[in-house]
Amino acid sequence: MPHQSAVTVLATVPPARVDDVREVLNEAGRRGAGEVFRFAEVAGVHFARLLLVPGGPDGTGEMQPPCVVYMSEVDVPVAVHLADLVRSAGDELDKVFAYCDGYPADGASEGERVAWLRSHHVPCAAFYVHTVGRGRQQILNEARLREAIEEFLDRHRAELSGESPARVRAAVQEYVTGRQDLAWARSRPALPALRWRIRRAAHLVGVPLAGLALLPLLVIALPVWAVLVRRHERRDVPSRARPGRDHVRELASREDFGAQNPFTAVGAVKPGRFRRITLTAILFVVDYGVRHFFHRGNLAGVKTIHFARWLFIDGKRRVIFASNYDGSLESYMDDFIDKVAWGLNAVFSNGLGYPRTRWLVRGGAKDELAFKHYLRSHQLPNQVWYSAYDTLTTDNVRTNARVRAGLFGTLSPAGTEAWLALL
Amino acid sequence: MAATLDLDDMQGLIVRGYGGLRWASFLMLSITDPAGARTALGQLTPRVTSGRAEPPEVAVNLAFTSDGIRLLGLEAPRHEGFPEEFLSGMTDPNRSRLLGDTGENAPRYWRWGGPATPPVHAVALLYARDEAGLGRLEAEVRHVALAAGALAEIVRLGTAELTEREPFGFRDGISQPLVEGLPRATAARAKGTAGDEVVKAGEFVLGYPNEYGLLTDRPLLPSPHDSAGLLPRVPDGTDADLGHNGSYLVFRQLRQDVDAFRSYLDEATRHPDGTGDPAARDALAARMVGRWPGGAPLVHAPLRDDPDRATDNDFGYFATDRDGLRCPLGAHVRRANPRDSLDPRPGSADSVAIGRRHRILRRGRAYADGGPGGEQGLHFLCLNANISRQFEFIQHTWLNNPNFNGLYDSPDPLVAPRSNRRSTFTEQARPLRTRRLDLPQFVSVRGGAYFFLPGLRALRYLCKATEEGGQR
Repeated sequence: MPHQSAVTVLATVPPARVDDVREVLNEAGRRGAGEVFRFAEVAGVHFARLLLVPGGPDGTGEMQPPCVVYMSEVDVPVAVHLADLVRSAGDELDKVFAYCDGYPADGASEGERVAWLRSHHVPCAAFYVHTVGRGRQQILNEARLREAIEEFLDRHRAELSGESPARVRAAVQEYVTGRQDLAWARSRPALPALRWRIRRAAHLVGVPLAGLALLPLLVIALPVWAVLVRRHERRDVPSRARPGRDHVRELASREDFGAQNPFTAVGAVKPGRFRRITLTAILFVVDYGVRHFFHRGNLAGVKTIHFARWLFIDGKRRVIFASNYDGSLESYMDDFIDKVAWGLNAVFSNGLGYPRTRWLVRGGAKDELAFKHYLRSHQLPNQVWYSAYDTLTTDNVRTNARVRAGLFGTLSPAGTEAWLALL
Repeated sequence: MAATLDLDDMQGLIVRGYGGLRWASFLMLSITDPAGARTALGQLTPRVTSGRAEPPEVAVNLAFTSDGIRLLGLEAPRHEGFPEEFLSGMTDPNRSRLLGDTGENAPRYWRWGGPATPPVHAVALLYARDEAGLGRLEAEVRHVALAAGALAEIVRLGTAELTEREPFGFRDGISQPLVEGLPRATAARAKGTAGDEVVKAGEFVLGYPNEYGLLTDRPLLPSPHDSAGLLPRVPDGTDADLGHNGSYLVFRQLRQDVDAFRSYLDEATRHPDGTGDPAARDALAARMVGRWPGGAPLVHAPLRDDPDRATDNDFGYFATDRDGLRCPLGAHVRRANPRDSLDPRPGSADSVAIGRRHRILRRGRAYADGGPGGEQGLHFLCLNANISRQFEFIQHTWLNNPNFNGLYDSPDPLVAPRSNRRSTFTEQARPLRTRRLDLPQFVSVRGGAYFFLPGLRALRYLCKATEEGGQR
């Protein structure tokens, strides 16, 4: 099973064409993201979105251009995905990117389109994957497996409920073994490719080693940095602005249709080199954290996020944060405040207008309504959004994987009971 | 240190549910002439019951929708400080989707509060010791408020005489948060029986610190808008605080299909030979609710009702029943108040603390219209300071959420709408659970609105005539 990639294609839109692009995206959203771009047929797409990022001021007030962004979470390398996408929905991509500078005109080959998209690819500063290595096909298969087992148990509940746990499990095993379409369930899911695992291990060790080499420098720099942070924090002016009502209504009109929602926000980095360097360093640490520690169903205490990414745009003048999460925005924001306020503060307090923090991680998001207003104000409508499994929460996906993992093989009596309790 | 609550300035409904006043009715009012309405409501204001003392005979409380407040002369942008959900109202399409008010629950079918019926601007909440007293109170209120014709009565919502049971036959209202600073909380703390039930006053009353130690957003007015000084000023500024001692009242009329509930239970538990199984039927009902009809929680009384535990509210789920073997994971009470079962670290004080940010003060009353066989249900009323984080969160993230607690296709078995989605209720058991598929809908929405229940000074301010230049 491959590891997951974050695809981001970002292209500037001439200001005069912003309304045209928005209309194309809105129309695609109305027709349905899956219908228009046929994401189900593109290999390994978990989620995908297309949206317009409006132009806006950076931290110094200088206007940054509007752009159109395509983001997806996929099981294949970026280049492979873009080629697949052009093959499956090239005409629709043409409509979206037609107004962007240099986009291959009519008559250009698929290869030219792919090359253009690749040249507009933006790497993430950090990319969180709920469970690294768990691909879309595995998620869909395991959901089907669980449902098949549940239905089997419903049909045979009367005769099975008097049996021992081990006998019930044996009956399920026999049933699944008899189903050719579930033959895959008898083996374990494959690990990500060896080369990728070696690279990851090298990163795991390499970064602290490099840190060790820089230690003398860090020891000197950290106290200076801490003093500077406090000075900046005292001087920075939190925004008291509440999100506009029309803005909130547009956002709300696209939320709460399924078990999950997309979240995209853009913000300006505070002016000056200090904040830009701090944010770069923090996101480097975040990247390390999500690669090596938070890759098994938990982002520092928040379990409801499928994917999340942080990326710089406009030459590090602005930042985009995008995620796919379970439940409503209200519950998402409450999770942020209650469980991971420190982490959000460390990143977002480098953004203009964020509620006041202390020592980078304290305060900030703990100012509940100021924080919620800030997020809503910076949130962007996702004109097009696709989910490959929009009724499944991260909790469901995880349970399904455990059902499959415990189906065959040896289990203790207690393990067998625990396995049956998943159903 | 608990904040000292200004009980004289709070409407009584925040402080108590008027349990001694067993008869109640709610008059939904529409403003037809704003100036006249201010005068009429101003005359009613002295009758409005404060939170100071338990009223022996009658109680009157008044609350306004966002349109009502606008008509009384508080124009935008002075609406700033009211939350979006209050301003857009319960029937905004986005809120309807969030609340599950779609399909047959959609506002267009509502008896009141929806787009097909006259707009609701205010509600008069009337309570009396007996039926005759309620009749007199209604006549009096109508005389004062309606006689001049500036306000019209859209609908009168009567209630059944207050009992401990709701129409499905279950004891109701057992679990209520204790509001820090109110006498009951203080007494419970002194006796050591408060447990985790004491919640900061700011979760229910505007102007006091909430569970985050902060003041919830509330409507503040630049001081020229209150030149007469009717309103208190914010502590660190000159703005007039229209929200102080106020709260938000969520009002929903919920029809309970008692026949459908009973026949579902009968069918679901019938023996293969077609005969009924009353014990299994009652047990299934109890598992859907999470308490027995008498009130005993399944966590403590898994096998049968226990009168000694009728008001037992001292329990969690994590230590005793993590897997739902006693009280199913999807049971109504387990979702409406998950206690210690929330992330992170279920069973911990942190888990309970997170739950405390989603509590509501319930003030509902059951109704039975049109005699035997007529419509029955609950006028669900609750008070909270942040509708999004409290009432709507409970409704969306806990009750209606088909994925609550790691479940699949499982909204609340009792109260959630079905709206063409699969609706499963699972009774966890060893070795094998029982899944009940395709539950019918038992509760439907017949009306509703979000109201602002102002403090008494704010009420007098709202009802005072606007002078030249919009100042009061």
